Amino acid sequence: MSFEVILGAWVATGLTLFILTFLYQDNPLFKLAEHLYVGVSVGYAIVKTYDTVVIRLIYEPMVMQGDWWLLIPLAIGALMLTRYVPKAAWMSRIAFAFVVGVGSGLAIPRVISSYILKQIEDTVRPLASLATDGSTTFTYSLLNPASNLNAIVLLIGVVSVLFYFFFSVEHTGPGKAVARTGIIFLMIAFGAAFGYTVMARMSLLIGRLTDLIEYAQPQYGRATWWLLAATIATLIVFHARRKGTEPPQ
Amino acid sequence: MNFAERMLHIDRRIIFLMIGLCTLIPLLYPVGLAIKVSPEVKSVYDYIEALPEGSVFLLSLDFDPASKPELYPQAVALLHHAFKKNLRVIGMTLWLPGTGMASEVVSRVAREEGKVSGKDYVFLGWSPGASSVIINMGQDLYKAFPTDYNNQPTTELPVLKGVQSLRDVAYVISLAAGSTGIETWYVFGKDKYKFELGGGCTGVIAPGLYPLLRSGQINGLIGGLRGAAEYEVLIGRKGNAVAGMDAQSATHFAIILLVILCNVFYLLTRTSKNRAEQSLR
Repeated sequence: MSFEVILGAWVATGLTLFILTFLYQDNPLFKLAEHLYVGVSVGYAIVKTYDTVVIRLIYEPMVMQGDWWLLIPLAIGALMLTRYVPKAAWMSRIAFAFVVGVGSGLAIPRVISSYILKQIEDTVRPLASLATDGSTTFTYSLLNPASNLNAIVLLIGVVSVLFYFFFSVEHTGPGKAVARTGIIFLMIAFGAAFGYTVMARMSLLIGRLTDLIEYAQPQYGRATWWLLAATIATLIVFHARRKGTEPPQ
Repeated sequence: MNFAERMLHIDRRIIFLMIGLCTLIPLLYPVGLAIKVSPEVKSVYDYIEALPEGSVFLLSLDFDPASKPELYPQAVALLHHAFKKNLRVIGMTLWLPGTGMASEVVSRVAREEGKVSGKDYVFLGWSPGASSVIINMGQDLYKAFPTDYNNQPTTELPVLKGVQSLRDVAYVISLAAGSTGIETWYVFGKDKYKFELGGGCTGVIAPGLYPLLRSGQINGLIGGLRGAAEYEVLIGRKGNAVAGMDAQSATHFAIILLVILCNVFYLLTRTSKNRAEQSLR
């Protein structure tokens, strides 16, 4: 196994253990790992952005292929930097206006189509359909076992939740029953989301422990065991030093 | 302080230790609990299985190392399946921090399957803009990515022969850890350029994507480590995801038990408080 792989395993093991020490209590090892994470992430992002954007997408096409029209978007982008010069800061608004304008123009129609119209269509489609002459036909039938009962449940859920968030009408009488139904649907949705979140967090723990088990093998120099011992020893030292500096109760 | 109150004020580090042990022990001594494949994962598998040899399959690895435990096994399983089916694989990412990891997983699985970069697969890397990258790829893939991750001109790659834009891609799967992922690919890609889209995601965002699945906006969904394990079962190649399922079940059981116990202790405490108040009156 190459030296780089073994070194990577030791670094990964050490940082994982340092982060996990937070479960015991906040300590300098955790802070070290936390700061390293932030620093490395930002450093990586800067280098990759520079390489991809400045070199590959701007410099090389302009200088090597003669795509000098790229100077226009480059100039618009550069206007954002004028925010650092108070007298010229107003020029950055041109760049922001361009970004907001293009972004909104691209996003608004697509998002409305995908999230609102398509979802409304899917909510009512199993119940009603449009005929070729433009008239509406109700296709759902309780007598037909092929009809989808889930469609009714979904429709009740959508309508009741929407009504719950409709604050212009006081939720009394029948309205209260509808709003309460909406709350039940919301609670079920939150429960499902929380269940999935727990599953996701446990998966992350499984991932880290799987790596720790792998790195405890002899081919990695038993990195997990050595670093676990070192981490525990360091925590004991920190704990003892902290105890010594704490004012008496 | 009675027993129930003492339990409600238990040191949380004991709970951490308990969850840690529930995860660690099944990883060290696996039981091999059965894994049932869900229809949404089977849909993705069936679609890839039905693709003819040489079809273009685009895998967008839209996650960073923080989501590696859930999405990396999904990527490994999907890539093995695609390479086994002799599909032409295009790898890319919309997440800058995940570029190196995405490149590593694509090239590693390709090497294991005996595939050659440029001929059987290509990793395009990352390009800024997310939604605009997809729109750009929908118009002209070579303008969005003039070079691949290894700085080879994409116009000269045999793997991309006959591919001009996203319209020429048979199947796109986005493995997403956040909003820049499946939803972005649907809104700015599938809806306009009419390719089939599937998804893989972390457990956290899975509930939010089920409406897209039901409406047919995506044809399948692989959710979290569990979804990855199901896919590993389908392709008959058990990996890290299947190995983690015993631990997942054990931790879920422990958490359910803790939730029930916590509620029981809370009710006991409330009952004893009510009794104490009544006796004072």
